[in-house]
Amino acid sequence: MKALRPALIVVAVALLAALPWFGSDTLIQFGINTLLLAVLAQGWNIIGGYTGYASFGNSVFYGLGSYGVAIAMVQWHLPFAVGLVFGVGLGIVFACSLGVAVLRLKGHYFAIATLALAEVMTAIVSNVKLAGQNVGLVLPPLNNDRLFYELALGLLVLATLTIFWLTRSRFGFGLIAIRENEEGAAVMGVNTTLYKVLAFTLAGIFSALAGGIHAYWITFLDPESAFDISLNVKMIIMAVFGGPGTVLGPIVGAFSLSAVSEILSSEVTSIAGLFFGVVIVAAIVLMPRGLADIVRNVPKSGWRYFRQNIRAHRL
Amino acid sequence: MGLLAQILVNGILLGGLYAVMALGLALVWGVLNIVNLAHGAFIMLGAYASWYLYTDAHIDPFLGLPITAGVMFGLGYLLQRGLLNLVVRAPMFNTLLITFGLEVVLTYLAQLAFSADFRTINPPYAGDSWQLGPVTLPVARSAAFVVAIVLSLGMWLFLLHTRLGRAIRATAQNLVAARLYGVEPRHLYAMTFGLGIALAAAAGGLYGTVSQINPYIGASLTAKSFAISIIGGLDNPLGVIVGGLFLGVVESLTTLYIGPTFADVASFGILLLVLIVRPSGLLGRTA
Amino acid sequence: MTALLEVRHATRRFSGLVAVDDVSFTLAPGEILGLIGPNGAGKTTLISLISGTLAPSEGEVLFQGETITKVPAYQRARLGIGRTFQIMRPFPGLSVLDNVAVGALFGRGGGQPKLAMAREQARACLDFVGLGRNASQRADELGGPGRKRLELAKALAMQPKVLLCDEVMAGLNHVEIEEVIAVIRKVRDQGISVLVIEHVIKAIKSLSDRLLVLHHGEKIADGVPSEVLENATVVEAYLGKRRT
Repeated sequence: MKALRPALIVVAVALLAALPWFGSDTLIQFGINTLLLAVLAQGWNIIGGYTGYASFGNSVFYGLGSYGVAIAMVQWHLPFAVGLVFGVGLGIVFACSLGVAVLRLKGHYFAIATLALAEVMTAIVSNVKLAGQNVGLVLPPLNNDRLFYELALGLLVLATLTIFWLTRSRFGFGLIAIRENEEGAAVMGVNTTLYKVLAFTLAGIFSALAGGIHAYWITFLDPESAFDISLNVKMIIMAVFGGPGTVLGPIVGAFSLSAVSEILSSEVTSIAGLFFGVVIVAAIVLMPRGLADIVRNVPKSGWRYFRQNIRAHRL
Repeated sequence: MGLLAQILVNGILLGGLYAVMALGLALVWGVLNIVNLAHGAFIMLGAYASWYLYTDAHIDPFLGLPITAGVMFGLGYLLQRGLLNLVVRAPMFNTLLITFGLEVVLTYLAQLAFSADFRTINPPYAGDSWQLGPVTLPVARSAAFVVAIVLSLGMWLFLLHTRLGRAIRATAQNLVAARLYGVEPRHLYAMTFGLGIALAAAAGGLYGTVSQINPYIGASLTAKSFAISIIGGLDNPLGVIVGGLFLGVVESLTTLYIGPTFADVASFGILLLVLIVRPSGLLGRTA
Repeated sequence: MTALLEVRHATRRFSGLVAVDDVSFTLAPGEILGLIGPNGAGKTTLISLISGTLAPSEGEVLFQGETITKVPAYQRARLGIGRTFQIMRPFPGLSVLDNVAVGALFGRGGGQPKLAMAREQARACLDFVGLGRNASQRADELGGPGRKRLELAKALAMQPKVLLCDEVMAGLNHVEIEEVIAVIRKVRDQGISVLVIEHVIKAIKSLSDRLLVLHHGEKIADGVPSEVLENATVVEAYLGKRRT
């Protein structure tokens, strides 16, 4: 049974990769958006799910990646790949310089600090001439949705493999130890500061790459959309809904929530957002550890699982 | 010189409003450990309530504040009792997410009910102002400031000197202690949250008299309230007043000397600085 | 023979409260040093100063002759200082085996880079403390005595030269206490020095080579157990002044 799982995953990836040849244009576009969201959710998973530092600042990396590609291609006429590298470079500089200060904070203070960072970055970039200030930048168009789709899929596979590696590596164990008990981890020899910054940077790199791909795909960006703060919450909700700290959880969360949102949007437009809100509220009450935990426990406990969650957390 | 004085006065008036906006958030956060991301949405609802009271029932927005606050207190009480009490002992991050969900729901409901256009509450004295030497004091803003300060000080006195206030503070330290005060915890929690929402609604009513309202103002008001709470410090109920005034003045100065687009950079930049250098805030007890 | 661990005039204040007051002592290789004192005497604070969790307000900590006062906690772990916590801190989401494996991955000298090897070492440590059967359980499913042993196993997996034990016998019954004493003796036989904080006087009397007594943050006695426990000041600290 265990050997079946990797085989199933390979089949699923192959099917996903083949989709552009069978699906409609709208489906492919939906696919690109969903895949990129899944990458963001996985990126967040590294710092939030595995290290336990719930960051509300990954949108900054996304924005830096977007602007990296945009500036490189529009202002300096460099190829896309170089733009991606530039975007990642910006992200790394950001993570290492501000990360250390912000990662010293615990729990919700860290979350708020990253949120403040996101707000500040948006405002700052609106005033930078090179980035086109408030008006934004327009990139050279490339009409090849299939390419972007496969790029996004490839990035998602890369991100997931990275997380899989985490679960079996010394580095990953160090991160989990930090999440479970940071002081205990330090006393056992884990260089918590270094590891936290590395995790933050790694999450940032994936977010930056996703931003870069997205920017080239839609060929336009401005500070509001590039550093969109609501992206933060989306990726967190998807990761948490699917199962933070698991390898596949965030992907499941991203796919399922995107699908539901899309279906509702086409059926009853304004209710979609409302539904999202209700789903989140219900999920936090009934299944705070995500779908992955449901899959693990409901076969054993059945409906009692949900009642247990409530009982454990109510006043 | 006159311009600087005016800017400072503007900042202080704004700061008073900011203080009462953040008061409800700080109360709920400090006592119940609930990080209420929907706080701004409640401010927004309070603003709309005041608007309807004024437009349909012709009740002056300031006089109508007790009604708005009372109704929203009930809403807050029910929400805590029926929903939020279910997640109180979960990791704090969960309260963040559940209140975010609430924010989404409330904003959408508001959009459905009130449509997306901008509104203001315009009592007849809205355009008037007093002259105090070189400084102009708009009537509405000044009244909002006074009410805000009264509410904030009132909150401070309530927490320090009434039995219920002391019970609420005790709960912030220790749930068992609250039981010793004879108040049932679920009821106490619901009262506290109701109080926080009532304050938010009152702030909304005041906000409506000095600025435009639409269903989407919630998010940025929440962010601002966070900044104020942290900058002022969560330990001390007066911290919010200090934080609000400080931020109001900083924003006014930034708008004048650097530019209006930098007001947000200034507020969040200071928030960051405070978090990094002195997380307990300007009035916090230990560094 | 140079002391393995030396604490010189260590003082730690917490905004007005002096938790540890000018304490000096040494720990020799292969020695079991007991640390006793009434509640609030500053024992855990002293341990935290040695493990690096807290920095001293004054004074120095030396390990193998080198000053480590400014060295961060994780580096002290890599030098060979291991500790258990009084308020037990397992990694709840991980299995018992993986809890201990963290120690093997990050312990002395930077630990073992390969997860598989670390798990083997972890298994050996679990057997050593008697938790071998519980390896695949979730750490938060263990009962009190089990958690105490897990704390020990985690610290041992780091291959420490010094083991700081903070009340590993609290809440255990006679049989369990004897078992822990046996484990600590086995630890010493491996060449590891042990500093044991304990309240169970009978146990620590038989276990320790030397006893150190703290009261209100000050060291009030340091010597062979039989002498220290007869010391009038020590008796007074525990039982209060005799009414004459």
